[in-house]
Amino acid sequence: MKTLIQKKYHLVFIGLFLILMPLGNLLGFVETNTMTLWGRYFCFAIAAIGIDLIWGYTGVLSMTQAFFFCLGAYGIGMYMTLSNLPDGHQLPAFMEWNQVTELPAFWAPFSSFPLAFILSLLVPALFSLIFGFFVFRSRIQGVYFAIITQALALAMFLLFSRNETMLGGTNGLTDFKYLLGFDLRETSTKLGLYFLSFIVLCLIYIYSSFLTKSKFGKGLVAIRDSESRMRFTGYGVSAYKITIFMIGSVIAAIGGMLYLPQTGIITPGRMDVQASIEMIVWVALGGRSNLKGAVLGAIVVNLLYSIFTSILPGGWLYVLGGLFVITVLYLDKGMIGLFQQIQDYIKTFFASNKNKNEEEMENEVINVSA
Amino acid sequence: MLKSKLLFLTLILGTLSFTAFSFEETVENSVQTLLSNNKTQLDSAVKYLVETKNPNTYALIGAILEKRLYVSKTKAYTLFPGVKSYYEVYPEFKEAGSTVVGLKPMKYARKYTLAFRSLAKYTQLYTPIAQSKLNAYQRFKQSGTLEDVAFLTEQLKTESDEKVKTAGNEAIYTIWLLSGNEQLEMNALAQLGEGASDQMLDPLEQYLKKKENAPQDQSYILASELISTIQAHERFINTAQNLFSGISLGSILLLVALGLGIIYGLAGVINMSHGEFLMIGAYTTYVIQQCFISYLPASWFEGYFWVSLPLSFITAGLIGLLIERLIIRHLYNKPLESLLGTWGLSLIMIQICRSIFGDITAVKSPELLSGGIEVMDGLILPFNRLFIIGLTVFMGVLTYIVFFKSRLGVKIRAVTQNRNMSACLGISTKRIDAMTFFLGSGLAGIAGCAMTLIGNVVPNMGKTYIVDSFLIVVVGGVGKLVGIIASAMGVGVLSKIFESFYEAVYGKVIMLAIIIFFLQFKPKGLFPDKGRLSED
Repeated sequence: MKTLIQKKYHLVFIGLFLILMPLGNLLGFVETNTMTLWGRYFCFAIAAIGIDLIWGYTGVLSMTQAFFFCLGAYGIGMYMTLSNLPDGHQLPAFMEWNQVTELPAFWAPFSSFPLAFILSLLVPALFSLIFGFFVFRSRIQGVYFAIITQALALAMFLLFSRNETMLGGTNGLTDFKYLLGFDLRETSTKLGLYFLSFIVLCLIYIYSSFLTKSKFGKGLVAIRDSESRMRFTGYGVSAYKITIFMIGSVIAAIGGMLYLPQTGIITPGRMDVQASIEMIVWVALGGRSNLKGAVLGAIVVNLLYSIFTSILPGGWLYVLGGLFVITVLYLDKGMIGLFQQIQDYIKTFFASNKNKNEEEMENEVINVSA
Repeated sequence: MLKSKLLFLTLILGTLSFTAFSFEETVENSVQTLLSNNKTQLDSAVKYLVETKNPNTYALIGAILEKRLYVSKTKAYTLFPGVKSYYEVYPEFKEAGSTVVGLKPMKYARKYTLAFRSLAKYTQLYTPIAQSKLNAYQRFKQSGTLEDVAFLTEQLKTESDEKVKTAGNEAIYTIWLLSGNEQLEMNALAQLGEGASDQMLDPLEQYLKKKENAPQDQSYILASELISTIQAHERFINTAQNLFSGISLGSILLLVALGLGIIYGLAGVINMSHGEFLMIGAYTTYVIQQCFISYLPASWFEGYFWVSLPLSFITAGLIGLLIERLIIRHLYNKPLESLLGTWGLSLIMIQICRSIFGDITAVKSPELLSGGIEVMDGLILPFNRLFIIGLTVFMGVLTYIVFFKSRLGVKIRAVTQNRNMSACLGISTKRIDAMTFFLGSGLAGIAGCAMTLIGNVVPNMGKTYIVDSFLIVVVGGVGKLVGIIASAMGVGVLSKIFESFYEAVYGKVIMLAIIIFFLQFKPKGLFPDKGRLSED
């Protein structure tokens, strides 16, 4: 029964976004820009799955996921910057403004797509491997890990904002027209990116749900629930944590890689301390240690963001702040948990109606015996 | 441009003097012509005064140039900006008391002030304000010629201020140094060898550049030695300055981190909105300042800061208490959840503040705390930063006393160690929680009040400090007063030192790398608990 319901949810989800939305677009009910917007939500949902794996399943609160998201975006952005250079220009415009005469060496590999693609995944993986190795090795956990990663996010944000780091400073990378020869302004390209984002989201969802059901996944949950016992039983807890931290960051980078062509701009503002914490709230609101919850949370919060910034620009921070507070105070298991609670409540309500008479009789018996 | 105008002027003056009746030109006569504003002879008088370059008239000409000349019969007076009493500028230059009868202001046509402009470098020396006089002497380093040396020496004979005297002497040495006369150059170098201020760096470097083709000369070696002494002195001053501003940054961080660390130790709550109590403290100060401006007499204004210091503590403390009762109470011993919830809280608080006060406001520091002590040549310790350090020491000692010498402190420490056991022994843990939140938030509020002395008041000012403060708590160890103090000072000083070597951003990155490296060896902070307490 339960698995059937779950499958139904998945079918509804796929049917809605893979068939209904494109159909609406074809018939003119749904604008292409709305499709791109949803494409972007899918990218955020991908990053949210990564966070759920790290935080929800392993209990490690990483507050620097937006940085990994941006690493992916910057990787593709650097390729697109180089492949979109206007005729007669050897360097991106922001470098020319800073009197740079030669392309910095670390930009060179990004002129070819395969290399840029690999590097966009490899750089976050290596970064999280090295960082994770040093941090997890010294058994920094819980709050300490959260604070260290927050400081990392701040430091990286500041570093990317500088002009000397040759990544466009606070203006970031922008002004792209083509990706692999496809015109980004064409409707077909936009729809293509939408489908690509959705399919990647589905693939990552499937991969993650296999991962969580595997022995490795069970190990992660065990670490979350009792790290010391896991360690004493002889498991290499640090190795588990480093691996899942790497997987999470690569997943975030994949989200970033798909995100960039759909927004056309990436700035360090995407990776400040606030951005990372917001990503965590997507997961917390949707329901942690539940992959559906992560996807749902990311989509709902960003949908709210789009709605509120257009109708009530000053009010968004109140809403976001309120979401943080309400989530931690009342929605311990997120929205998914809330559905479950409502379902249970309805079930018990009907059940209790049916059994009311019996219960009353039982109570009487107890009273008598007392 | 000026020269041609002068030429033109002299031409006109020349023709005029022929037509004017015969008249003996003396300094006294010319000045009196000037003071009576006798239009027919003004041209020739001005020309005469410009040509004779008589030092007795410089004070008067200075007053004319700066358009603050007052005349009373045959005497001339002036009023320097920022100085209360009048000064007589002719016939003598001396103080004349705060009231002089029968003064009338005197203004001259633009062409006359232009004519006098060539004497400006001399006239600027006639001022009672030491700083202006010092600057006037400094200007001789660029504009002075050998002819001025005699005048400068004469002036310096009556100078009493040591700093001005040094500046004057160095102006003379600079003129000698760049004169091209070898005897004078050696003279200047010999004099400078006895002690040269930082201001001599430029002239000496200029001199070296001139002498580039003869680097074996005695004078060249002497000059380069002088330069390296000055540079060493400058480096020393810079280091001292960095150390000092590092300590003052550390004290602000300490005030914030103290409350943060105590609260985390007690309740297991990561209070991300703690920085906003700093903001509340700063805005309390701002509001009180506005109240003083609009409701109280202006002479009381100075007092606003001393009123806002305790009030910012109380306001921030009360709001902290309110938030603890409403929200944070539910998040005890859930550090990660509390981190998210209080972050949301801080977003709301910042937005409320922004909609009330706007984006940026500034608080005027009280007069008492402006300025500073000059510890040694070139090293100035500003009073406001000294005050912040003093305040932090005071609050630190107070916190220490409350924590280790009072009943409340014993209870707070007991609840921190074992909440359930304390409750069993009859300690009202709720009351203790509330009190601790009040104290912790109040400390941040005081930090905010102190922050207004050195920076602008902006809604998100707390965010700047919160991440650093948390790093301090991590390094110092949770709930450990001594650890927090040590790490706050360490982080403050180190980050200032790195900032002076590299850009501020790289300083931050290096700081983070050091902290991660440090935690490799001391994962529980500087002063970890020993024994059973250290186990989770």
